[in-house]
Amino acid sequence: MYRINQLKRQIQKDRILSVREKHEENKRKLENHVSELLLLATSRSDSMKNPGTGKMLSVRISNPLCKVGGFLPGSGDRDYANGEEVVSSTTARLPLAENIPPYTTWIFLDKNQRMAEDQSVVGRRRIYYDQHGSSEALICSDSEEDIAEPEEEKRHFSEGEDKILWMASQEFGLNEEVLDILTHYVGGTTSEILEHCNVLRQKHQDTSGKSLKDSGDSGFGGRIFLDKSLTAALDSFDNLFCRRCLVFDCRLHGCSQILIDAVEKQTYSSDSEDDGKPCGDQCYLKVKGEANQTKCSTVDPVEESEKHISEVGGSSMVIKRTRDTDEHTDSKMQHGVSESIKTTFEKSDLVLDDQQDSSCKRRKLSLPTAVSVAAEDGPEGNGISIISNDYVSHSQEPDQSGYNHDISLHKTGDKVRNDTEDSKKETVNHASYSKNLPDWKPLEKELYSKGIEIFGRNSCLIARNLLPGLKTCMEVSSYMDNGAAALRGGSTSFFSEDNGKDGMDYMEPDISTKSRFLRRRGRTRKLKYSSKSSGHPSIWRRMADGKNQSCVQYNPCGCQPMCGKNCPCLQNGTCCEKYCGCSKSCKNRFRGCHCAKSQCRSRQCPCFAAGRECDPDVCRNCWVSCGDGSLGEPPRQGEGQCGNMRLLLRQQQRILLGKSDVAGWGAFLKNPVYKNDYLGEYTGELISHREADKRGKIYDRANSSFLFDLNDQYVLDAYRKGDKLKFANHSSNPNCYAKVMLVAGDHRVGIFAKERIEASEELFYDYRYGPDQAPIWARKPEGTKSDDSPAPQGRPKKHQ
Amino acid sequence: MAAKVPVGCEPVVGSLTPSKKKEYRVTNRLQEGKRPLYAVVFNFIDSRYFNVFATVGGNRVTVYQCLEGGVIAVLQSYIDEDKDESFYTVSWACNLDGSPFLVAGGINGVLRVIDSGSEKLHQSFVGHGDSINEVRTQPLKPSLVVSASKDESVRLWNVHTGICIMIFAGAGGHRNEVLSVDFHPSDIHRIASCGMDNTVKIWSTKEFWSYVEQSFTWMDLPSKFPTKYVQFPSVDNEILLWEPKMKENSPGEGTVDILQKYPVPECDIWFIKFSCDFHYKTAAIGNREGKIFVWELLTSPPTLIARLSHVQSKLPIRQTAMSFDGSTILSCCEDGTIWRWDVVATNSATS
Repeated sequence: MYRINQLKRQIQKDRILSVREKHEENKRKLENHVSELLLLATSRSDSMKNPGTGKMLSVRISNPLCKVGGFLPGSGDRDYANGEEVVSSTTARLPLAENIPPYTTWIFLDKNQRMAEDQSVVGRRRIYYDQHGSSEALICSDSEEDIAEPEEEKRHFSEGEDKILWMASQEFGLNEEVLDILTHYVGGTTSEILEHCNVLRQKHQDTSGKSLKDSGDSGFGGRIFLDKSLTAALDSFDNLFCRRCLVFDCRLHGCSQILIDAVEKQTYSSDSEDDGKPCGDQCYLKVKGEANQTKCSTVDPVEESEKHISEVGGSSMVIKRTRDTDEHTDSKMQHGVSESIKTTFEKSDLVLDDQQDSSCKRRKLSLPTAVSVAAEDGPEGNGISIISNDYVSHSQEPDQSGYNHDISLHKTGDKVRNDTEDSKKETVNHASYSKNLPDWKPLEKELYSKGIEIFGRNSCLIARNLLPGLKTCMEVSSYMDNGAAALRGGSTSFFSEDNGKDGMDYMEPDISTKSRFLRRRGRTRKLKYSSKSSGHPSIWRRMADGKNQSCVQYNPCGCQPMCGKNCPCLQNGTCCEKYCGCSKSCKNRFRGCHCAKSQCRSRQCPCFAAGRECDPDVCRNCWVSCGDGSLGEPPRQGEGQCGNMRLLLRQQQRILLGKSDVAGWGAFLKNPVYKNDYLGEYTGELISHREADKRGKIYDRANSSFLFDLNDQYVLDAYRKGDKLKFANHSSNPNCYAKVMLVAGDHRVGIFAKERIEASEELFYDYRYGPDQAPIWARKPEGTKSDDSPAPQGRPKKHQ
Repeated sequence: MAAKVPVGCEPVVGSLTPSKKKEYRVTNRLQEGKRPLYAVVFNFIDSRYFNVFATVGGNRVTVYQCLEGGVIAVLQSYIDEDKDESFYTVSWACNLDGSPFLVAGGINGVLRVIDSGSEKLHQSFVGHGDSINEVRTQPLKPSLVVSASKDESVRLWNVHTGICIMIFAGAGGHRNEVLSVDFHPSDIHRIASCGMDNTVKIWSTKEFWSYVEQSFTWMDLPSKFPTKYVQFPSVDNEILLWEPKMKENSPGEGTVDILQKYPVPECDIWFIKFSCDFHYKTAAIGNREGKIFVWELLTSPPTLIARLSHVQSKLPIRQTAMSFDGSTILSCCEDGTIWRWDVVATNSATS
């Protein structure tokens, strides 16, 4: 409509003006630059006169080799006025400089890298020039798939378009008619425009509201992390830290991996350090002594017994069997098996971490009275600790309160209220005690519960390792005694469901070591069994003699605790590895080898047979010693040393890069090696098969390719990034071979010696071109290619 | 062609009618061998030699001087002993003593640094893995040259010491042949390059400037902020005036605003390059049919100053060179000829 047209014209006019303005500005800037340059140029000639050397050019100016006269003015059309070659003499010859074989600039990689997204060539237009044609014309986008997929590109609206849209939506609203017209003027689909209009409106509101906010926001920021939850604080860690490579920003496995927590936590034996020595001035041990002396009379026996238990048991977290159980709990609440549990007390703000201050304060006023609740185990029986914390006030605002106790608690709470009267005296004591606790921020609480997970109930370690500078050991300890239970009850979500199981996890260390022991015995047995027949022999075999099948990419599964039928590993046909979430007794686990003396160099070793490297974490007798023998430790390849971890340990040969005797560049060996020795890794970018298809077409034009099929998901491309071994040439009678190995869950390509190779020999391996794939020079006269595997392909070849 | 340009971001397109501000006339025509001449360039580094220019073609580098009355004097001539060498590009540089250097590169991928002050080969830089498409000199520090190569990298060299200071390649680098490269005229840290991968990349060497100063070590340079593409000059029958390219701060990294377009008909071959005078006031570009278009750069909308044509000039002009004040335009052709055009009638004074 008219207004839009007008606006459009206005915007275009503005545009021209703005371009002109920029241009003017540019002009002024440019004048400065140029004058600077001019100054330099003139000063140069002056300084030149002094040294007096290198004046040949000046000399030539006064004494040129020859002069060629110009046309007379007006006679520009004459035929070939100065048609002859002008250069008769040569001032100097440039001696031959030996150039190097052609290559494309590449980056050294000692480890495979996943392709960065902006490196993709899929959907990008490319330009080549036709080398064969007589003209050097350009060829753009050689195939239809080059055209960018429309959905990939999100439409961006320019400022001018924004103006039009805004104006239109303000004045006419967004009915269909208006949208139609807008699409006509602005382009894009109606839905895009609608969407964008909403964005605009949002923006508009934001800007108006912004000024207010700004003033409010300032002055924050100092201890910002402490106010966040642990998950928020650990967000970047979870996203950026690779738990397989133990580095940040892993280029191989990428960011934002799915977090998989191994089910089996390593139990920390708190006893070892908790040998009764205080860890510092603020150690809980000291306080305890004090407390025992001074408070003994006033503190109720519960607390004393608690402490006793925590001292002895170390990691029994919540279960506090109390002596006065019987006093508090009525017999009607007891079953045969059930244990009644002592609850702990808590200041209200500790429990209610989500509460707003106001309500907290209110709660503080209402003195936390009560609290010993005897919980009943319910039908499950063997149970354990349910802790409740409670106040009198809970019934007033049950919904708002942050503690999500079981409903049953409310019931019991009512009962308890009667009981609480009996125990009022002690609760007062507790309350006063817990009031000494400084505030615990949500982050600190979460750190604390992590600490319990890691160290067990060892306040010294928790305070030292997780809360340095935030909380002292004493504070942690008292929190542990008083608050932790409440915390567990209160901060729920992940605990509430399976209190029982969690309780087991935090059980005394001796129990878990026992279970570990049992497990280990079980494992070896299964190993013997499975290496013969069962387990997953199909996978093994396929990987073992898997020349023909390409391997399947492994992705850790998160099955807990056991893999079921839906386990992604199982469905993909990969074994579960140590990175999986499932337990070690998972039937799909690869259980490693237990070779004693064979050094895992033959197919007798199940790892070797499966095309895997041994893993010291998994295999029984494969171990790693550090150093190269120079310090007197056993030699790396000595007796009993596993010989199947060479990619993992990077025990590679020195490779030299030089001019090949065959074509272009070649890779050479510095020191002699024996048959089957590991030479090095063929590294590169990990790209998808689709990307590889596209790149392959491009590389075909350049007549050089460094693609290597790795597994069902990835192809290695060493074109831009790789190792010197990428320059090893193809030969149908090679002295090396390439083998895909599974190393710590990743497929990697190792290059091995096929025979004894002397020092400084050139390395060749069979690229295993598919039929008709090989370039002409690489084809043998008769088709003796026995391998039909499409595995490695590509080669460096001379350009042109 | 590219997607529809959004409202408010349209480039200002110049008209093809010459403004006749200046007129040029052919004043000389030289035949230099039979092989195509790939580059011609005036010396802007040293004011004594403002009228000296160099050409390359085949395995030959030649130095000329423009004299009064259309006379061209041959000063020096260098021949590579490798007959297969074909120089694609040449640039003037100088060492710290002020001795004029010529830096030429071509199909062999070896940069030849010629000391034209002593008429000797100063050094050869081996390192590029493929042919060199462009060499440029940093005007503020004329010992620094950059080279763009088919091996997908750009290298920064110090001709004084012969050190390869930096390599611009790898992740974020060009994904195809690099066609051209140039320094920012005033911001010494900035380099722009364009390639067959349809991108123009602007590189910053600020972080690694200590290496330049030391010039003893060389290293890989991962620093870059690739700008969004559109097109590289001259495939599209147009010289695109890039906002960041022409010494102006881009509105924000990663975005590019095409400000002006200078249409050049029949200019769809990739190797055609334009040239500017010392003050960047005018630019000249040849086309496939031997015509030259002279554009005034510092006006908006763009104005075509003149269209130069000659009956015998029918072959593609690979490169033009404008003299210091824009009064002389040289063009080198496919058949090995050099054309000299001199300004005849000046309506408006220059500089």
